[in-house]
Amino acid sequence: MSSGATALRPKKTARELLEKIATNFWLRTIVKKVFIVWVVVTLTFFIIRALPGNPVEIMVMSLMDSGLSSEEAYTRAASLLRIDLNAPLSQQYSDYMSNLLKGDLGDSYVLAINKPVTTLIAQRLPWTLFSVGTSLLISFVIGMFLGTLAAYRRNSLLDHALTNFGAAIESIPNTLTAIVLVLLLGVTWKVVPLNFMRGSLSPGIKPGFTLPFVVDLFKHYAVPGTVYVFSTLGGWMLAMRSSTISTLGDDYVTVARARGLPDLRIITAYVGRNASLPLITSLAISLGFVVGGSILIEFIFVYQGIGLLLSQAIGKRDYPVMQGILLVTTITVIVSTALADLLYGWLDPRIRITGGGE
Amino acid sequence: MNQQLNEAPQGWVQHTAAPRTAVPNHAPTLSVKGLTISYQAKRGAVQAVRNVSFEVQRGEALALIGESGSGKTTMGLGMVRLLPSTATVSQGQLLYSRHNAGNGSVTGGAGEIDVLQLKGRDLRQFRWKECAMVFQAALNAFNPVLRISDQFGDTARAHGYLQGKDLAERARQLFELVRLDSERVWRAYPHELSGGMRQRVLIALGLLLEPQLLILDEPTTALDILTQRNIMDVLKELRQRLDFSLIFISHDLSLAAELADRVATMYAGKLVELSDVYTTFKNPVHPYTIGLINAVPTLTAHKDHVASIPGSPPDLIDLPEGCKFHPRCPLATERCREEEPELVPSTDDTHWVACWNWESARAQLNAGQKGASA
Repeated sequence: MSSGATALRPKKTARELLEKIATNFWLRTIVKKVFIVWVVVTLTFFIIRALPGNPVEIMVMSLMDSGLSSEEAYTRAASLLRIDLNAPLSQQYSDYMSNLLKGDLGDSYVLAINKPVTTLIAQRLPWTLFSVGTSLLISFVIGMFLGTLAAYRRNSLLDHALTNFGAAIESIPNTLTAIVLVLLLGVTWKVVPLNFMRGSLSPGIKPGFTLPFVVDLFKHYAVPGTVYVFSTLGGWMLAMRSSTISTLGDDYVTVARARGLPDLRIITAYVGRNASLPLITSLAISLGFVVGGSILIEFIFVYQGIGLLLSQAIGKRDYPVMQGILLVTTITVIVSTALADLLYGWLDPRIRITGGGE
Repeated sequence: MNQQLNEAPQGWVQHTAAPRTAVPNHAPTLSVKGLTISYQAKRGAVQAVRNVSFEVQRGEALALIGESGSGKTTMGLGMVRLLPSTATVSQGQLLYSRHNAGNGSVTGGAGEIDVLQLKGRDLRQFRWKECAMVFQAALNAFNPVLRISDQFGDTARAHGYLQGKDLAERARQLFELVRLDSERVWRAYPHELSGGMRQRVLIALGLLLEPQLLILDEPTTALDILTQRNIMDVLKELRQRLDFSLIFISHDLSLAAELADRVATMYAGKLVELSDVYTTFKNPVHPYTIGLINAVPTLTAHKDHVASIPGSPPDLIDLPEGCKFHPRCPLATERCREEEPELVPSTDDTHWVACWNWESARAQLNAGQKGASA
């Protein structure tokens, strides 16, 4: 009897916990997000190990290219890389997961031997967040403005010009824009010195809130920033245009005009606010894809961001660095979509979440 | 409370208003003269309103009835200058006069203004302060992301009217008039209110600035029969308590009969009959009006006697020659096919009709109708 009672007990609390999770909105959301992170982490762990070649082989290849014999290259690589890739995959996975739970992303294998991945990411992430984030906001604001303008001047010459321009720049790959800009601005016209299109800071300048740093920061940001803005502007503009056109046809806009409201109030609070609702969600989601979208551009401009780090890590099969960056990417996407939900609820009372469920 | 609302527009900030009855003024509130509106379509011009003239007297309720597509809504939108950009007003005048002139109104003191000539700020001030319009689709008449209180605030601010607590108090009085629970409505978002409530909020908002003219465009169309009843009661009560002219656009003859002093019947963009409500329903003389009234089922008549008008409304791009109703008219003659009749006085100068054969129409059709219902 007594043993039966004690056996029932933990079962009941487990069920209570599950019920609590199921009924509480925030708990439910968090559990879902953690689950997604776990799935992505597991998938990346196995997929990157399925890539042809491993860190040692890649290094051996490059050493052999520089003239070493295969034995020499193997010994050299083995002495440089103190990693054991012969442990069973399940063993590696459980080690990785238990370290991850402690907040340890492991050490870099190849790129910066034995340096913690967290340090590497912390060094590189701010650059990408700054360059892509700033560009995203600039492009969003300009796109909203031009889109609204085109919608208000619908079917005018200006509208046709803006729409075609938007569609054209939207369909040019950003890598192409980057290369053309480097060629025109740096080589042909010599408007921008080439060293401002290489790297993210001039040598010798220390990060900090100093004028030389800020000036140098923006000098290096100017061209890659232009590329980011150029490649996303068209999309925002076209989305805002169509959203505004449909909002302009809504009854409450006509009624607002009938009520004699000033045009500015109608454009901002009646048309703009409602038309931008769907765009705000896409903005938050795009923030999540900051890292993924930056790889090629950072590669072209040797911009010291996380995208460049990822491309280097992939090239050298630096498993821990790849895993770390992909984890950060996953988390940014998840956090920013959650942010989009919150923001949307705040902006649109119709879908506002009213506390924790019942 | 009723007293307060009737006495004077206390709300105006910039000026103290004279009581509305103090200035004798016999000019009609709105005088429409030869209004012609067409839409540009691919096939040609859609002649939605053709040479329409009528007057709305002070405190009067005019019902504008007709089938769908007869140009009623176009005319309503034209009166507040909210026609879509494809529409053009090719001719006509919309003369508006304010009775308590000198009230800082757009008429700039005494006299009339032509609404069609208003521009920019003057037009903006005319809208809602002088002439408010309650729309057909009141369900979507409110900005979904702003509270009702904010939308009242916007309207008031745009016209230099009360703000803050005074505005809330004024709104509370109006909500009471339209039988709404102001506690619940004031802080609500539009989606939290039912269709009937939103319609009444819009009516209350329409009365906020004490306009002289209120245009109701099918205010009850999207509502169920009980809510419709409720809105009609509210409107009738408002008419008794407050001093404003009303243009009631509807295809529902019974609602028009209930609310209106005079009835204007529209067909193919033209007024075909205009008279007081009693005459329209008891002694209509235009064959179309007679047909419309016969098409309304009554409690006592046998269902076989409910007649519809044969045929369908004409294509507004390619109108028939002569009287536009002649293809459907049982009394059409050679003249009807060639010449279009103008709206002229018939039995007396309050009863106008646009028909060559109104006398025989009255004799024949009314006799038939009476015989049927007897």
